[in-house]
Amino acid sequence: MRRGITATALVAALALAATACGSDDETGSKSSGELSGTVTWWDTSSVGSEDKVFKKLAEGFEKKHPKVDVKYVNVPFGEAQNKFKNAAQAGDGAPDVIRSEVAWTPDFANLGYLAPLDGTAALKNQDDFLKQAVASTKYEDKTYAVPQVIDSMGIFYNKKMFEEAGVEAPANLADLKTVAKKIKDKTGKTGLYLRGDDPYYFLSFLYGEGGDMVDAGSKSVAIDKPEGVKAFKAVKELVDDGTAKTDASDGWENMMQAFKNGDVAMMINGPWAVADTLTGKEFTDKGNLGVAPVPAGSAAQGAPQGGHNLAVYAGSKNLDASYAFVEYMTSVDSQATAAGELNLLPTRTSAYAKKEAVDSEIVGFFKPVVETAVERPWIPEGGSLFEPLRIEYTKVLTGQTTPEKAAKATGDSYRKLLEGWK
Amino acid sequence: MAVHTSQSVVKAAGENTARGRSRGTGTPPPTPGRLRRALSVHWYAWAMVAPVVVVIGVIIGYPLVRGIYLSMTDADERNVARSIGVNEIPATYEFVGADNYVDALTGSQFLGTLGWTLVWTVSCVSITFALGMALANILNRRIAGRSAYRMALILPWAIPGFVSVFAWRFLYNEERGLLNKVLGGAGIDAVPWLNDPTWAKFAVIAVNVWLGIPFMMVALLGGLQSIPSEQYEAAEMDGATAWQRFRHITLPGLRPVSTTVVLLSTIWTFNMFPVIFLLTRGGPGEATQILVTQAYKFSFEISPRDYAQSSTWGVLILVLLMLFAVIYRRVLRSQGDNW
Amino acid sequence: MTTATDTPARHAAVRKVRLRGERSPLASVALHLTLIVASVVAVFPVLWVLLTSLKPAKYATTTDFFRETTLVNYTNLIRDTEFLNWFANSVIISALSTVIGVFVAATTGYAVSRFRFPGKRGLMWTLLITQMFPVAVLIVPIYNIMSTLGLLNQPTGLVITYLTISVPFCAWMMKGFFDTIPREIDESGEVDGLTPFGTFFRLILPLAKPGLAVTAFYSFITAWGEVAYASAFLVGDENLTLAGGLQKFVNQYGAQWGPMTAASVLIAIPAALVFLFAQKHLVTGMSAGAVKG
Repeated sequence: MRRGITATALVAALALAATACGSDDETGSKSSGELSGTVTWWDTSSVGSEDKVFKKLAEGFEKKHPKVDVKYVNVPFGEAQNKFKNAAQAGDGAPDVIRSEVAWTPDFANLGYLAPLDGTAALKNQDDFLKQAVASTKYEDKTYAVPQVIDSMGIFYNKKMFEEAGVEAPANLADLKTVAKKIKDKTGKTGLYLRGDDPYYFLSFLYGEGGDMVDAGSKSVAIDKPEGVKAFKAVKELVDDGTAKTDASDGWENMMQAFKNGDVAMMINGPWAVADTLTGKEFTDKGNLGVAPVPAGSAAQGAPQGGHNLAVYAGSKNLDASYAFVEYMTSVDSQATAAGELNLLPTRTSAYAKKEAVDSEIVGFFKPVVETAVERPWIPEGGSLFEPLRIEYTKVLTGQTTPEKAAKATGDSYRKLLEGWK
Repeated sequence: MAVHTSQSVVKAAGENTARGRSRGTGTPPPTPGRLRRALSVHWYAWAMVAPVVVVIGVIIGYPLVRGIYLSMTDADERNVARSIGVNEIPATYEFVGADNYVDALTGSQFLGTLGWTLVWTVSCVSITFALGMALANILNRRIAGRSAYRMALILPWAIPGFVSVFAWRFLYNEERGLLNKVLGGAGIDAVPWLNDPTWAKFAVIAVNVWLGIPFMMVALLGGLQSIPSEQYEAAEMDGATAWQRFRHITLPGLRPVSTTVVLLSTIWTFNMFPVIFLLTRGGPGEATQILVTQAYKFSFEISPRDYAQSSTWGVLILVLLMLFAVIYRRVLRSQGDNW
Repeated sequence: MTTATDTPARHAAVRKVRLRGERSPLASVALHLTLIVASVVAVFPVLWVLLTSLKPAKYATTTDFFRETTLVNYTNLIRDTEFLNWFANSVIISALSTVIGVFVAATTGYAVSRFRFPGKRGLMWTLLITQMFPVAVLIVPIYNIMSTLGLLNQPTGLVITYLTISVPFCAWMMKGFFDTIPREIDESGEVDGLTPFGTFFRLILPLAKPGLAVTAFYSFITAWGEVAYASAFLVGDENLTLAGGLQKFVNQYGAQWGPMTAASVLIAIPAALVFLFAQKHLVTGMSAGAVKG
């Protein structure tokens, strides 16, 4: 076996030598001053709505740099993290640029898959970026990504249905229940769709009860504290008393269909869902979509801060063009386009002053939400916290476990994951 | 038909394989002289099996040894060797002995998953066998439109498994799937096919049975056709009822086929990856996760990827299946079946 | 169905035992009914996918059998996705692993069927046990080996991986076929002064052609439908096989039933046609292989 490892190391060393030669060539092409070659970009935006806009934006880069060929590939969001890891470890098939969810970025960086961007063309006007957006791109004092969009969550509602039932957007969980009941009585429809297969949609309830997944400051696990148990109880109650309906699989698709067709009056969601929502038959009149802050729990009100960064693969054969592409995609103009066409929130302060952003009601609504949103600790394990939580969250909603047991089981997995944490 | 002939030929083959020149089995360990003699006698047989031996050794043997080794280390995504362009990261995982096995066998996760895997395997195989047997018996009669029925019944086998599984996922959707719409039309409440742990278990078993029946039916039909009709005629002369004929002629006649198909389908079902992976991904929660899908999840879906634990589970699954095969053979042999 | 014929049979036994092939009209109706129900269950999911693929995507989840019948799902599938690439990849990978598998395994199947030699028992057990290998035991080491060899995300890597399935399977199955070929043929070869290799290639192999074809077919569809390795090893959009590609349509964050159903039909039709036409041979082959296999 030892020999196996040595052989592995040898092959790796050879590969290293080969790539080293490769990058020599690249510097050669750079000195001529013009970017060339292919940049493969893995985008994770929703198919059928967001992807079209981003693809067009990427084509704009080709116009600026005619010798560069941008290869746009849409990888489903749910698969991108694993696919990238498969490809990055293998050193083959990985894209040059990946749209990395904020929680993935420190994980990828920790594994050595991302190229450090400090001092490269990818970073321009760094002071212009929102402070919260930049946080997730740093790992051990280096910058590994550039923020592309920032987001948080709110409650999306169907204004027509609300009028019919004579209700207003709920401010807290008690409100939510009465609102849902009135909607049920008046329209026969369910109040809220709550995604049961993705714990990200559980976070606002967790924060609402004053809980959190972990506390990075004191290096301790927080999910199994009494607040965490209360949060599990709260969501279970919503499902049990008919306020919300949920699914343990195909949650995204079912949620969007139900909301777009007017089968439910509310969903908890973020700006990334807006473009798709507006394709629904209930929202041919865009004005019918209302957005409000997530309902408060018994202790607080809060939604998670999320977003996406663009990162460059460390093994990219075309680093220079990739840096330039990342810079282009995160520029003020590109962000303004995304804000105007897709209602996505820019990460650059100056982009908010652009007409496209100012005109977007959704951007206007979410900007203050994002500013006060709950920031997660940007540790390599940040993304890993979701899978144990997903299992227990789904189990609670489907009645396979109790809130107490779920909180404890999640906490136990976290302690296994985070070595030395309390 | 084919079943029977092959059976008898094999027996014949077993009896006079020697053909005067090879009496290999049972010889004591060869001394150098014997080795040379063995080589001169068996060289062609060894040459003929050489390609397979080499290929299996290289592409199965070596990875297997590595897998067993990995299961005794703490290898995960963060400490295996990776080469990413300019970043060269060597392997740093360490040997930990049997720790992973102790963890797996004393923790609740492995045993819990094993429990459901056994339920899944036993129910799938027994239901598939019972239904396959019933259909094979019907199709073995003279009945109008027999070949048309047969075509239709074989269809699930003819379609690639992953396509069928997606089709079922489409039908099962709680809100918009056809099954619930049909039930709704009949005034029955929507069934949470994939969202309730119990229903999800039922749903995955149903799909696997659907996929498995044609093979079972066809194999048993082949077995039925190989039972000589004289036996039935003789029984009829003796005044045996239909049930007696089934019990005393059909069942014993099917024994060689059924023992084999049950063994095969047990192994296949135990390792049935696509149905679970594509239908529920092991959900809701972990309700339908079987050993193989869970082991896959350890190495490719969680973060950090736990290669050591995944390999440990893989080795344990293999050991379980081998134990099963050995015991199965023993039982058959003790019942006088020379399988 | 036994119960269906059972009761009348008992009554009849008073006069005369009901013979095989005779049955009351009631029993006939019951049999046909059973078969019809079973056939509908077997065919319906497939039929439904076909019907859905002919409806515009927005009506995919309606219960109508036909609605604005159109081929738009198919044209979109071919135009906007890498479907044809995936199809080609699947064909190439499955075909290569089949051909190599059959080629490598043929002589072994023969040797194991005909000769006794030291190591035969061990080899037989190895062949049997390798067919029990759960994907989980090999996938990680193979993944790491392919990764160091630079074969991940390459068709070659997947072909080699599929050989771990097809070689033992083909050897085992072909042994079953060679068992059915009378030994007199070997003996006549020997009388003619042929070496065992000569006998195999000149006399046995031509007779075993149907068996080889059946073995090849099974090996092909196994590779064609493989999901686990394909999902883990292939990443690039245009490198995927069909099993990987279809997961892009239906996953955690979306379900595009339009392209999904169209792709399903295009994949299923050739497979089903071959299967149904070659049914007789396949069935014979399966039972020959199964009984000794």
